[in-house]
Amino acid sequence: MFISLLQQAPAETTRYMIAGYTVIFSIMLLYIISIFIRRRSLKRDLQILDDMEMKDESQSKSH
Amino acid sequence: MDPKPRILTVLDIVTIVLFIIAAGLVFLYAPMEAVMGQVQRVFYFHVANAWVGMLGFLVAAIAGVAYLRTSDRKWDIVGLAAVEISFVFFFIAIISGSIWARGSWGTWWTWDPRLTTAAIVELVYAAYFMLRQGVEDSDRRARYGAIYASLSFISVPITFISIRILRTIHPVLFGGDSTGTGTFDMSSKMLVTFMFALLTFSFIFADLLWHRIRLGKLAEKTENLRLKLLQ
Repeated sequence: MFISLLQQAPAETTRYMIAGYTVIFSIMLLYIISIFIRRRSLKRDLQILDDMEMKDESQSKSH
Repeated sequence: MDPKPRILTVLDIVTIVLFIIAAGLVFLYAPMEAVMGQVQRVFYFHVANAWVGMLGFLVAAIAGVAYLRTSDRKWDIVGLAAVEISFVFFFIAIISGSIWARGSWGTWWTWDPRLTTAAIVELVYAAYFMLRQGVEDSDRRARYGAIYASLSFISVPITFISIRILRTIHPVLFGGDSTGTGTFDMSSKMLVTFMFALLTFSFIFADLLWHRIRLGKLAEKTENLRLKLLQ
């Protein structure tokens, strides 16, 4: 009984755990989203450049 | 455009499954630490993030040396991909460490050797991106980036050993006398969770690295075509 009275309860730090994991999950998710957005935008750019190249080639052939 | 390899899709799925299991272990399996309470659970992903940071900086240094030896542009793409991923994950490790410190040490930040050297590592690699931004010629950019990534890796082992050779309040997990404030003895369940988190984040690193390399190749292809059309 005396021992149990002397034992301290763990510190109440739940909010710091929530904050820590919110930061971890949020930044990881943002980074993954950034990779997908950059990829999509590069694909679009490449498509436009491909079209321009094809137009250039067809124009030079007609001349 | 190169299609996504089947094995990368498999790696994506395996990584997601591992991540869900790792999160389950952290919140449901690992016991609550007796003194620090719930905030100690941040430790599992905090260390795993730092691990990915250090691993990526090592990969970037190796890729830098490989580029300097071969002048093959693929090594520049690998190096940039590794530094970018590690920069993000090391940043998460610093922020999550700060939150853990607030819960267990009562302060957000202290100029302890580990925290200070970790902040220096992050700044050193922030300068890597600035350097690349400042060089227009792609060959010179790749060469300077390779030299910088190789040399700046010196800062990583300094961070790792700082808590082993200097007085610190940061816990030493392996090879220390465990005298730091916030130090705790890991039970077997904690150890399983910790090792599983390290394994999971190694998969996350491999998966993200592959995706980021594919992005780098696509960016290079786009840039080359743009230059071709301008001529």
